[in-house]
Order: sequence, then C-alpha cells, then structure tokens
Amino acid sequence: MNAPPSFESFLLFEGEKKIVVEQDTKVPNAAIFTVNKEDHTLGNMIRCFSNTFVKAVSINHNDLRLFKPCISLRLLLKDPNVLFAGYKQPHPLEHKFILRIQSTPSYSPQDALMNAITDLISELSLLEERFRDAVREKREGLE
Amino acid sequence: MSKSNIKYSSSKDFIDESRNELVLTEFEVLNAEATDFPGNHHGYDDTWSFEKFKKKLKIKIVRIDNMEMEFDLIGVDPAIPNAFRRILLSDIPTMAFDKVFMFNNTSIIQDEVLAHRLGLIPLKADPRMFEFRAADDDVGTKEDTLEFELKVKCTWNPERNLKEHINPEHMYRDFRVLTSNLKWIPMGNQNSSHTSESVGPVDDKILIAKMRPGHELDIKLHAVKGTGRDHAKFSPVATAFYRLLPQVKLLKEVEGEAAQRLQQCFSPGVIDLIESDHGKKVAKVNDARYDICSRNVFRHEDLKEDTVKLTRARDHFIFYIESTGALTPEVLFTEAAKILSQKCRLFLDELKSGL
Repeated sequence: MNAPPSFESFLLFEGEKKIVVEQDTKVPNAAIFTVNKEDHTLGNMIRCFSNTFVKAVSINHNDLRLFKPCISLRLLLKDPNVLFAGYKQPHPLEHKFILRIQSTPSYSPQDALMNAITDLISELSLLEERFRDAVREKREGLE
Repeated sequence: MSKSNIKYSSSKDFIDESRNELVLTEFEVLNAEATDFPGNHHGYDDTWSFEKFKKKLKIKIVRIDNMEMEFDLIGVDPAIPNAFRRILLSDIPTMAFDKVFMFNNTSIIQDEVLAHRLGLIPLKADPRMFEFRAADDDVGTKEDTLEFELKVKCTWNPERNLKEHINPEHMYRDFRVLTSNLKWIPMGNQNSSHTSESVGPVDDKILIAKMRPGHELDIKLHAVKGTGRDHAKFSPVATAFYRLLPQVKLLKEVEGEAAQRLQQCFSPGVIDLIESDHGKKVAKVNDARYDICSRNVFRHEDLKEDTVKLTRARDHFIFYIESTGALTPEVLFTEAAKILSQKCRLFLDELKSGL
C-alpha cells in the first residue's frame, strides 16, 4: 500500500512553518498566505470581506468551485477595505490551503487578515455563550 | 423554461429575496450564491460589525437528550455551521481501541477483521481526561491508555438434549461474544478516577463475533485518544449535519381534490386540509419545518404554475448532532467551539510572530 500516513494531515513536518507569507509582485497591496495543515474548516471561515471577489465569481463559475471552501475568508469578504479574498486547496493530498488577499492602500493584507480573525474569535465566543444559555434554559425546562 | 416566473412588485423585493431566500423551482435552485458583500447592493450596508451580529444571532434548542440534539442556528453565515460540522466529524478527540494484541483467536473471524470490528466499538471514556499517546509507544501509561481484556471460550452445554439441536441458545455456552465480555484492567491508579462503568463500551450488547464449541478468543486491547482525521473510529458523532429551514407559501386557494393532491406532494404535517364554509376542503400551510423539499408539486400541471412557492431561509440552519455516547451533544458543540477558536488563536499568533 502506498497510502500516505494519516497523521500527515495534522502534524507539521520537521522545519515546516504553519504560515508562509509571500508578497504578490504583480498587483499592489496583495499577499499570498500558505497555511499548512489546515483545510476548508478554517479557510472558508476567513474569506468573507470583498466586493471584487463576488464580481470575479459571477464571471467565471469554475472559479467559484475553487474559492468556495474557507471561515476567515468569510469575514475578509465583509471588509470594505479588502478588494479581493479567495482561497484554494491546491491538491486534496497536500494538507494546506492558499489564501490570496488584496486590500486598499490604507491597509495591508496582513492587517486585514488579523482583523478578520479577531472578529471571528469574538463571533465564536458570543456563539458559544448563547449556545450555553440556550441549552441551560432547555435543560431546566425539561426538569 | 427553468427560470422561475414569480412576479415581484419592485426591484427591492427581488433583491431582498435574493439576499434572504433560496428559491426552489422545477429544475433549479435560485440564489444559491451569497451576494451580501459591501458595495454589491446599493442601499444595503453589508460591512461586518459585532453589534449587527449580536442582534441577528439566535440559538434555539428544539430537542435534546444525552445522545441527540436538534437546534436552530439563526443569523450566521454558512461557513460557521459548516466549520462546526467539519470539526464535530473530524477534530474532536475520543477514545477507541487502537492496539489489539491477539494471543489466541481460533474463531472463524480473521485477526485483522476482528481487530477492525473491535476498533469501531464506541467507548464511554471521557477523552478530556486523557493525553494523546506518542506514535512509537507500544506500552502506554495510565495517562494515555485504557487496557481491556477479552477472554471468551465457547463450550457445549452439558445439559443439552438432541431434541433442541437447532437452537444454539440451548446447545452452546458463550457462543456470542458481546461487548459485555470486555473486561477493563486498570493501569496504575486509574481505579481512583475511573470505574469500569465510566470507561467501558457505550452499549453492552454489541455483537463482536459468533463462535462454536472449541473456538476461543484471548485478546488484550489498548484504547487510546485520537481524532476522526486519523481514523473514523475516533469520530465522536454518528453524524452531524445541518439543513436550511424550508418555507412553503400558497399563492392562491386550492380546494377539493386538488387540495388533497397538494397535501400528498409534501411531507406529513406540512399541509393541512381545512373545511371551508361551503363544505369543501381547503389546503393551508401548517408547518413547513420538516418538509423534505422533494418538489413533487411540480409534477402536477395544474399546481406547478402560480400555486405554491417553495423557498428556504438563507440564514436559518437546523443543526443536528447525533453523539456516539462518549460525550453529550451539547458538550460536543462547546468543545467544537473551543477547538475552532483555538485554531483561530494559533493562526493569529503565527501571523503576529511572522511579521
């Protein structure tokens, strides 16, 4: 059997970095983040903060499939200062995703990403709190 | 042909609908893509703010017990329930048999098949009380391993009589190997923090193998902590899934035989027939929540045009968690929330240190 060992999907190789940032030299204010050992769970969540992104998608439907899957991306697309945010998983057997962000000159892509993740953390803590309250209420009602 | 021919009173109605609802038509689903991004719709403010999120977010528990729950998650983007679903399936750790030492197996099940079956048995042990075991460790310690023993030998029943020779219950003893045959062997002082009740299999009556006189099993098992990413046996849920809230709207009055046909196009309880003043049955929407959205109504020529509108709410998720028994579903969801925010914090720290 030539299947790769299953731990490859979550353990970093020796010397491998979690995130590699690269400046995109073709357009101003754009960066490419390569995030190792993460998948659509985090990717799609980060995405949501731009308008250009949506236009690009409506032109070419194949792009949609490419971009659809990450969570911070979600928040990026909701940021008016982010011109483009998209991600892809280059190959299902390579456990990483590539995130590309272009922002307005007022703001660096790194800042945009950090803001998106901070917002996401606050969203999650509220969600968890509300969930706990709802469960407590329901359980008390049942007794 | 496939486009919906629903009429809108204004363009605002149309935009509102595309932002809030998925429309199910005969051949396609409209408004599948999200368009609520800043600058996309004139007159709408789509920038993210915590206050807005706080106002929109609602969580309602519909049904809950120790194995299953159903709840409504309202006012979030699809990425959030999807991330939770993915984490529930593959990132929350549980304990499962990972090392099986076979000393004797004369049953008809092959060693590797038996080991696989044993691996899939759900255990009650709380994974939060254990550590992950190192990959090269074969012995295990009391912090990371639960040891079990399975010793069963099938024999003839000495009081058997040949009249009942086709009834195995009567002819043999211990011919069924069940999870109740698994015996926990505490390592070190595990006795003080766990009981065989609290770490054993979720169900006592799971069939592991069937044997005949002379067959024997002598096995030692190590249960270790792992995640579903590594192997599906470590997944803490039987399944976790969500769907959007279905909505059914009747656009005109349907009565008599047509009303009955309409009722049959939907899941039970969705459409009610109500007696009208002139003695005819009139269709009325009761509760569309449990509709399976089959779109059967489009098979009827007289019902498919301008009679009924099928939509799904874009930000109303009905989330189901079915636990395997190690952790209760509400604990699973809060654990998932913890793992997700941990992932985010790790990501943020990496970003900060890299700049």
